[in-house]
Amino acid sequence: MTYKYKKSIFAMSFIALLSFPFLAIAVALPGKPAPDFTETDASGMQHSLSDYQDQWLVIEWFNKDCPYVRKHYGSGNMQALQKKYTENEVKWLTVISSVEGKQGYFEPNEALIEAKAHNLNASSPFLLDIDGSMGKAYGAKTTPHMFIINPQGQVVYAGAIDDNDSANPAVIESSMNYVSAALDEAMAGKEVTVASSRAYGCSVKY
Amino acid sequence: MGSSIWLQSMLKHLLFNAYNFQNMKRTKLGLRRGYRISLWLFVFVLFSPSSWGQETAQGDHVNVRWLAPTTFASGQTQYIGFYFEVDPEWHVYWRNAGDSGAAPRFDSTVQGAQIGQIQWPFPQRLPVAHLTNLGYEGNVAYLLPVTPDNDADTVSLSVSLEWLVCKIDCIPGFGQMSLSRPVTENVQWQAHDKEIQQHFVSRLPQSATQSPWKVQSLAYAKPSGTHITLTLMADADETSTPRVFPLSGDLISATEPQLQRDAQQLKLTFALMPGAQLVQQTDFVITDGSQAWHLANVPIIKSQGNDNSFDSPETQSIWVLLLAAFAGGIILNLMPCLFPVLSIKLFGLMQAQSSTRVYEGLAYTAGVLVTFAALGGLLLLLRASGSAIGWGFQLQSAPVVLSLILLFWLMALSFSGFFDFGHRLMNLAGSHRSGAFVTGMLAVFVATPCTGPFMGVALGAAAVLPAMSALMLFLALGAGLAAPFLLLCLWPWLLTRLPRPGAWMETLRQFLAFPLYATVIWLLWVLGKLVGDAGWVIGCLLMLSIVFAIWIASKTKRLGKWTAIAIALFVLIYSFVSIQVENNSATTVAKTDRWHAFDPVKIEEALQQEKAVFVDYTAAWCITCQVNKKLVLENESVLKLFDRNDVLLIRADWTHHDPAITESLSQFGRNSVPVYAWYAKGTNNAELLPQILTVPMIENLFEESH
Repeated sequence: MTYKYKKSIFAMSFIALLSFPFLAIAVALPGKPAPDFTETDASGMQHSLSDYQDQWLVIEWFNKDCPYVRKHYGSGNMQALQKKYTENEVKWLTVISSVEGKQGYFEPNEALIEAKAHNLNASSPFLLDIDGSMGKAYGAKTTPHMFIINPQGQVVYAGAIDDNDSANPAVIESSMNYVSAALDEAMAGKEVTVASSRAYGCSVKY
Repeated sequence: MGSSIWLQSMLKHLLFNAYNFQNMKRTKLGLRRGYRISLWLFVFVLFSPSSWGQETAQGDHVNVRWLAPTTFASGQTQYIGFYFEVDPEWHVYWRNAGDSGAAPRFDSTVQGAQIGQIQWPFPQRLPVAHLTNLGYEGNVAYLLPVTPDNDADTVSLSVSLEWLVCKIDCIPGFGQMSLSRPVTENVQWQAHDKEIQQHFVSRLPQSATQSPWKVQSLAYAKPSGTHITLTLMADADETSTPRVFPLSGDLISATEPQLQRDAQQLKLTFALMPGAQLVQQTDFVITDGSQAWHLANVPIIKSQGNDNSFDSPETQSIWVLLLAAFAGGIILNLMPCLFPVLSIKLFGLMQAQSSTRVYEGLAYTAGVLVTFAALGGLLLLLRASGSAIGWGFQLQSAPVVLSLILLFWLMALSFSGFFDFGHRLMNLAGSHRSGAFVTGMLAVFVATPCTGPFMGVALGAAAVLPAMSALMLFLALGAGLAAPFLLLCLWPWLLTRLPRPGAWMETLRQFLAFPLYATVIWLLWVLGKLVGDAGWVIGCLLMLSIVFAIWIASKTKRLGKWTAIAIALFVLIYSFVSIQVENNSATTVAKTDRWHAFDPVKIEEALQQEKAVFVDYTAAWCITCQVNKKLVLENESVLKLFDRNDVLLIRADWTHHDPAITESLSQFGRNSVPVYAWYAKGTNNAELLPQILTVPMIENLFEESH
């Protein structure tokens, strides 16, 4: 009897092996768990989603030569936003998903120089997603495409930085900034009014 | 004039180089502020209504000029145009720009007339890398209705423009244009300008009442909320296929919708923007390629029950689907994956007493149903969490395939009588109730690769139906799988119809080992496809070592048995770890010259060129797919037929997990393979062929289209 019992345990463990689940989440959606990532930044540090457990995290997609990125960096708008929230314990990662040979691609040393030149106030120098895996996992379509992830690892906002898709920096002052609105609401424990929007800008150069 | 150009270039310079400028001064905040003020000043001066009489605007790759009459007539509305002359291959955007890009902006000030909203000629879909934009390749006129006041002598317009022109990279442009024209008795145009203007006016969306396609309904496709289906009814004499563009880029993706045609009824299924706020109504523009109509404020029905966009669930009630699932389950019993296991199990039962038999049957059924419910539940859970997966997903994982190899190998060996241990494992079920339960579980896993007839529709429907109905379908499939066995157990007289037990059973068992060996070979091949050459080497080494361990165990005493267990454990751990590593360095299935890898853009291009397209949704682990491939799709005469008719052949290989293919399958309401999609020449909608192909079936495709 015990012999047979052992055998059925053996068979059961087979079944357990067979039901290996494997996950691949299509994109980052508001209300859903954020896709995992592991990428190296320009200074050689590795970052994973799990490093940011229990913290608010903003992820931003960047391409130096995109007019819409220039709109927000040239005006100082993006850096001001980064400064304001990183001073409030929010973590901020700026990601470059351009592949080698395409617009906006940097070697690590170039990226360090650009981070300095851009007066980047993110939590670390640019994350270099050289194979585009992180961008594709998040479904990042444009630069700048913005995501906010809460301390529980759920996406609370995905979309554009604001409601004005003009490339003219002059419109920033009269634009509604979705990212700061969503962060303020979510961090105050309120429901986010606008949790997703059409991300405007240049296509990510995968 | 000259100063205006200077100022414009100055502005452009400032906007584009603002960033570098700022860096130089980044520590000097005061200066930065000063610079911003000066920028504002330029913008103000440049965009103020009393600016220069410039009638054109220039930017990189774009020239903008007026299409306007030389004289207006009071009270008569004229569409004047902003005519964008764009370099070849560059494009500008529609009001809904799609996945990236931006619509142009016009900020107008007018004297002596009333102006309306900017009017947008219908656009085209522009694939840009992984995105779809809506816009215009080549020249386009954005139109503005102008109605001169009754007492006005002249009409004066001053407009500040902003636009974005893209090829792959994008360049924004800014400009200022003015227009001043007298108001007289008659409207007069320069013939050439009028011609261009008329061309674009004719492409403006008109009232939906004149549209040859009428909206029947618009509904969110159940249940995942990833799609929305627009149902149109074409006028009796309308046979062409319209193009439909959503106005709301926040709600609906710009990607080409999936089209299904049923006589005069057209169903267009659009992807929703991920995470979009679901609204009550939305707008579309529909075009036949020369004219367009505006489908305004189309109310969105919250779909209920099985009101669904896909082919099966709407016309077939849930009961038909359940029946199909049940039948599919029954047929599974005859599939080569399952038949040997079950027949042996059955013969084991014949010796048992009838009371035990009933228990056995019920335990087996419970095992099947619980496993189907668990797998179905897992599938639904993954679906709810946004994973793009489908049935057969177990076999997209190398460790699972390796486990199956080991399982079938052990079963085959024990069938051959090589060792007792596995024999007892198999017979376990014959004499032990929990064993029968395990056999039931086993049966489900063993059966997965053999997706049979009827199952495709049911599994596809399960992917789109609400969770409860989907789970019911899985259970019906399980019930079908378990039914024949259960029936034999419940009615012993059925068993007596079978031949009496005897020595022949041993022979049969040995014979049935051979289909199992064949299955092992096939699974090794699948593993090779999944992880490359290393896959089958690892698999064979595992098999060899296991046989070796069993041999040691059978020849030796206690110490030897421990050695055998140690060897088996070591090899198991080693092979599963190395297969995981190899899993990441997977190679895709090599494509032959005729068959192209799955690429939605390529399919779309071919359809636009009115080429026929055949898509073979397949996977290495799908036996039905392989049989169809060998017997029909690789058949010499079939390939010649495809060549002669210039058919684009696409092989969508689902051996590995591939969200794009899963997505594409879901547009057909399927989530299992095989699926054969046939786009006849000049059509945009796919016809799905049966899951078991024949050569005449393919030949018929071409006879019909001639």
